[in-house]
Amino acid sequence: CSKDTLDKVNPNVLTSDTYWKNETDVLQAMAATYYLLPAYNSGYWSTRGVEVTNARGDDFFIRNDVTDLYKISTFINTADNAIVTNIFNNQYQGIFKANQVLANIDRAALTDDKKKVYLAEAKFLRGLFFFNLVINFGDVPLRISIPSSSSDYNLAKSPEADVWAQIYKDFTEAAADLPVAWSGEWLGRATKGAALGYLGKAYLYSKDYANAATTLHQLTASPFAYALRKNYEDNFTDAFENNEESLFEVQIQDAGGPYFWAGNSSQLALGTFTAQEFAPSEVAGWFEAAPTDKLLHEFEKEKTQSGDYDPRMYATLVWDYPGATYYNKPFKSFALWSGFHSMFRKYQNWKKDNELTGSNGSSFVTSINERVLRYADVLLMLAEALTMDGKVGEAYPYLNQVRNRANLAPFPAGTDKDKMMAEIRHQRMIEFAREGTRFYDLKRWGLLQQELTNSDKVGREFFIPKKYDYFPVPQAEINTNHLAEQNPNW
Amino acid sequence: VKGIVRNEKNENIAGVSVTVTNAKTQFNAGVQTDSSGVFSFSNLPPGNGYSFTISSVGYESQTLSGYQLKPGATLSVIVKLKEVTAALNDVVVVGYGTSRRKDLTGAVASVKGKDLVTQGVNSVEKSLQGRLPGVAVESAGGDPGSGTRILIRGVGTLGNATPLYIVDGIPVASISNLLPGDIESIDVLKDASAAAIYGSRAANGVVLISTKTGKTGKTQINFAGNYGLQKIARTLDVLDAQQWAEVSNQAHDAAGLPRLDIAKNPEQLGKGTDWQKEIFRTAPVQSYEMNISGGSDQTKYSISGGYLDQQGIVKVTGYSRYNLRIRSETTKGKFKIGETVLLSKENWNRIPSSGGNPVGGAAKSIPVFEVYDPTALGGFSGAYGPVVNIINPVAQLNLIKTKNETNSVLLNLYAEYGITKDLKYKFNVGHTLASGTGYNYTQRYQVGALFSNPTNVLNESQDQSKMLLLENTLNYDKTFGRHKLQVLVGYTMQKNSYRFWSESNNNLPDGLDVQDAGSGTASVGGNRIESALLSQLGRIVYGYDNRFLFTGSFRRDGSSRFGKNNRYGNFPSLAAGWNLSEEKFFTPLSKVFDAFKLRVSYGELGNQEIADYAYIPTIASNANYAIGTDQHKWFGAIQQAFADPNIKWENTKTVDIGIDAALFNNKLNITADYFKKKSTDVLLNVPIPGSVGSVSNPVTNAGSIENHGVEVGASYTDRINKFKYTIGATASVIRNKVLSLGEGNQPIYGGQPTQNGASTTVTGVGGPVTAFKLIQTNGIFNSQEEVDNYLGKNGQKIQPNAAPGDIRFVDANGDGKIDDNDRVYCGSPFPKLEYGVNFAASWNNFDAAVVVQGMYGNSIYNAFRQELESMSYEFNYSTATLNAWTSNNHSNIPRAIISDPNVNDRTSARFLESGAYVRLKSLQLGYNFSPALLQRAHISSLRAYISCDNLFTITSYKGYNPDIGRTGSIFDRGVDFVFVSYPLPRVVSFGIQMSF
Repeated sequence: CSKDTLDKVNPNVLTSDTYWKNETDVLQAMAATYYLLPAYNSGYWSTRGVEVTNARGDDFFIRNDVTDLYKISTFINTADNAIVTNIFNNQYQGIFKANQVLANIDRAALTDDKKKVYLAEAKFLRGLFFFNLVINFGDVPLRISIPSSSSDYNLAKSPEADVWAQIYKDFTEAAADLPVAWSGEWLGRATKGAALGYLGKAYLYSKDYANAATTLHQLTASPFAYALRKNYEDNFTDAFENNEESLFEVQIQDAGGPYFWAGNSSQLALGTFTAQEFAPSEVAGWFEAAPTDKLLHEFEKEKTQSGDYDPRMYATLVWDYPGATYYNKPFKSFALWSGFHSMFRKYQNWKKDNELTGSNGSSFVTSINERVLRYADVLLMLAEALTMDGKVGEAYPYLNQVRNRANLAPFPAGTDKDKMMAEIRHQRMIEFAREGTRFYDLKRWGLLQQELTNSDKVGREFFIPKKYDYFPVPQAEINTNHLAEQNPNW
Repeated sequence: VKGIVRNEKNENIAGVSVTVTNAKTQFNAGVQTDSSGVFSFSNLPPGNGYSFTISSVGYESQTLSGYQLKPGATLSVIVKLKEVTAALNDVVVVGYGTSRRKDLTGAVASVKGKDLVTQGVNSVEKSLQGRLPGVAVESAGGDPGSGTRILIRGVGTLGNATPLYIVDGIPVASISNLLPGDIESIDVLKDASAAAIYGSRAANGVVLISTKTGKTGKTQINFAGNYGLQKIARTLDVLDAQQWAEVSNQAHDAAGLPRLDIAKNPEQLGKGTDWQKEIFRTAPVQSYEMNISGGSDQTKYSISGGYLDQQGIVKVTGYSRYNLRIRSETTKGKFKIGETVLLSKENWNRIPSSGGNPVGGAAKSIPVFEVYDPTALGGFSGAYGPVVNIINPVAQLNLIKTKNETNSVLLNLYAEYGITKDLKYKFNVGHTLASGTGYNYTQRYQVGALFSNPTNVLNESQDQSKMLLLENTLNYDKTFGRHKLQVLVGYTMQKNSYRFWSESNNNLPDGLDVQDAGSGTASVGGNRIESALLSQLGRIVYGYDNRFLFTGSFRRDGSSRFGKNNRYGNFPSLAAGWNLSEEKFFTPLSKVFDAFKLRVSYGELGNQEIADYAYIPTIASNANYAIGTDQHKWFGAIQQAFADPNIKWENTKTVDIGIDAALFNNKLNITADYFKKKSTDVLLNVPIPGSVGSVSNPVTNAGSIENHGVEVGASYTDRINKFKYTIGATASVIRNKVLSLGEGNQPIYGGQPTQNGASTTVTGVGGPVTAFKLIQTNGIFNSQEEVDNYLGKNGQKIQPNAAPGDIRFVDANGDGKIDDNDRVYCGSPFPKLEYGVNFAASWNNFDAAVVVQGMYGNSIYNAFRQELESMSYEFNYSTATLNAWTSNNHSNIPRAIISDPNVNDRTSARFLESGAYVRLKSLQLGYNFSPALLQRAHISSLRAYISCDNLFTITSYKGYNPDIGRTGSIFDRGVDFVFVSYPLPRVVSFGIQMSF
């Protein structure tokens, strides 16, 4: 035997130094970055992610089953909460991947045009991951390059404003080079509209109303052709995915393999189990979450022009109304275990017999895309930005598009800023229930304490203002990053 | 024929077996000596060729042959038997050779196979528990066929601390498939001098196992059979249905949440289901082994076979094993050729790996739910309503079949050629092959409202591990007058490879369990790993006048696990021994001491127990996403983790000072060692910040650890008339300390007790490995006033969410809040003292053996109690919760409240318990039938015995078992996490051992 005996090449995988040769490698790297968005236990739009972003809202109840989740929803979570840690880590895994694309793209044989698009797409995704971090954690480490040695592993937090600056930069640069639309094989990837929408959202979240309005306004005109889907409910089923109302969706499909928990494996399911997680046990669900009665009553506040409940109410909830059915059963056949009086229809496969909807072995897989950014959100954000910028009058047409789709009468003209904002807040609450925005909206409006207190949310008495505005920096990060500091009030 | 048997002191010995045989006439007979040591045979047929064999426990057997008996004549014999207590004359196996214990310079602990025979256990590793000083054997639970964790001299590394196992010269991954009766000896090389010849992999110690060889003489057949019953030693005290409902209602009322429907009418619920009773059973275990051995001057052989069938105390589980072994050696002229062939086949019926551990599930399942429901798909009932999703453990055991089978082959072939009388060349080929299959079948079911599996799913896998070892060694052995010299040089190569395949399908018709029957989506997987090791080795042993002994050894290893620049490691060692008892000045002491030796050694050893290819950053594939109008699979691949390209050998330097002594005519033997070992460049997956974005932690050379300790082993053998006995004791005291850790000396946190929650252990510089650091508690708030008065420096409430009945946590750092910074050192999972005592005795035909084993000074984090006493989960609770705090009952158990706003159930010192225990590990009583009785059946010996394992354990620990058998990461040590547990059974068995 010779010295070569000791030269063993890993037969299972490619190594980083031989990767990044051609477009296939870059495309695969890009897929691997998107992969994190619905990734089973940590993705921002995975089952856990959806639960975390909704859990703290005054419209949402989580039952005491998954302890860490329950603690989040009742404001008794501590820094070692594993679910929050997973969400935090997932965003940085995404940033690491996006940074790899940015760092290695020059090694691949690509035309400049193609290169520009890939760079823009990576920047969009990086901006998205940072956006998720900053609204949940505040100051966070701003990691915009790949660590070159182990001493780079430690990185202190940057002030929230610096993180926002990076987000503006990433979304702006992404918007410049991303295509207006993808079609066919690539439908579902990030577009110019997604980047602009998120840029506007970022401005709005940091209260830069003028820039928010200008940015969002671009989306109402050519080259964009966004419009509200006539039937509101179409936005939450797997029948009309990536429709005209959609700026960005996380693609979820009962494809790939049968296992959610397979990790990096050919057996990994590309669907999620979110719908099964929320469905009642009578239809093979885990009933982990329920709407509070506050949400039910918010819907009841205004009837449509034909005197009926808001169609969004029927699409979002099921409650005890005449003829109410749920999973093809009368409402009465469900035990309301939570003490609240409605259940979610939105994003549920509730027109089927139960949530055993998938084709594979673990057959509760759902295929409904999570709508990350809808045109309705763009319209209401634009209305809000204009209102807050003192241009209340200009906000009407955008607000009324949303009202009109719900068959509500146009909003009375000549209102003041406060009344307009109250209406926008009301519309946002009912338009986006279960879409992971409520808590963050209340936070930026400074209404968390007030709205939680006047709600019937379980655990509202444990909410401590400022402290619970943000998650704590995960204890695992504090334990391993010696430059890490815990958030104030934690 | 008349005779008398005496010992070396000319005392007559009673109860000695004397057999007479005549090979020509096939005649044989046996008697025993009387109280004055006299035996007699009358009416022996005249003839020649008679021989007498005289044997007795504690003496060397003697055979007197060539006697002629004339008709009518008498013959008288006087026999002097020699006692066999001189343990220092024992031969000890060291790497690539043997040595007399007298000549050893290193620290080697040994146990002989015959001493293991008197234990009923059916795994080799378990039989070592409490036997060897400095060798800690921990069970990996009572799961049939489960392995064990062996730690030699503490934890020198933070990664894989498993010692190197060598069976008949061949490295193996595990020794749990060996037949206990095949063991001739087990020698554990503990210090650097002894282990240095195995350099690169020896830092965790080396366990050398030699299997039995044949002996020149008559063919001997041994048979042993054993049948026993196993029973759980202890179950946990949990609530019955009515009690549970009452506590649950109290907890919901306190939180202002609606009561659970199933708990609405406690008084109507009665006892409900006792889930622990439903999953545990009294389980039989049986084993049989047979050995045939013998040989001529030229060829010696030993052939054995064995069968073990062990059912688990958890229903459905079980383990069976078949063994076959052939070992022979032939000497012809200058050649010596030999082999070991070891075959084993193991089958496991395991606890299902999906859906949580049913042992934990049984304790936590709500007693209101029922076990069976004939109308449900699958036939089982189960949980419904807003409760924690614990699957009916009985359903889980029956609906999910998890089986493994492993077929192992070990081959060792060698040829030795005597170049001169003193110089020998040996070529050794070793090969091991382990082929495993895994089978997991989940049948269609609906268990309660929470668990459904609409189609039959089959997963199967296969794996294959292969090892090839080639060794060339030259051995020179010469005595010149008072000088004794042994030289060994060698060159070896080892290649390992591993392959894995898996396949699964679903939608199988009921009753079919082959892949082809599935009509769902089939999926497959597979991978492969290869590694290699190239080594040069050498050793010189020099002895002068039986007084001075020196050993120097060296090994240079190259490993494929490191990058080109760090591939080779050099591992030298030096040792000296001085037999003081051979010196003139020692003469005054020689009345007491038969031997006294001082040993000193120093050496460096390596460790490369990390995953293969860990130094190369890789592209992880199958990070897939759905894309396109048809939402097809978009294949994803990218680097997801970091790798450190500069990783190198972990290095351990050990100093050892020891003595070996024999006293009082060799009745008392003592071995004692002090050692200090320092491991540097410890290989570890050091946790890196999540904000780096890596999905796993890279292997790095992370720091250094020091272990030092004292270990003592002693045995005393004596007799009082017919009563012969041996008492042995071992004790080890080991302390460890972390000297440095990786980047920034950042401490390492571990031991997360439940699926959620804070870690329990911290490994930091200056402290011990995996110290328990926990938030401490200080009683319970008995009034709102006490809550309001518990204030920080600035007047803020330290526990704002607390109410009367909640736990008062200690704000150790005085910052006015309770968080991870309030954790203080509370104990260590490592014992201050580990000990074992074994006792063996015989009287006339009776014998007895007792092994007691225990530890002291360690703590266990009872994570299971943390869950069962929490009252914030919707599952069953411990009976301790019946005593929960109320305004009328100021107890030490916090109030029942389902939302637990004060987080009374947080990870805290409340759940840390003493792990000290003393266990009567085994007790055996045997009876030897007298040869006279057996001769007609042509049986030369027959022993019957009754044996008890784990008869009792004295401990204050409240879990199933203080020997918690937690395997996996060292940082989880001492955390009793019932999701991975299986209680240790108590076993009572009956057996026979027979030779012909």
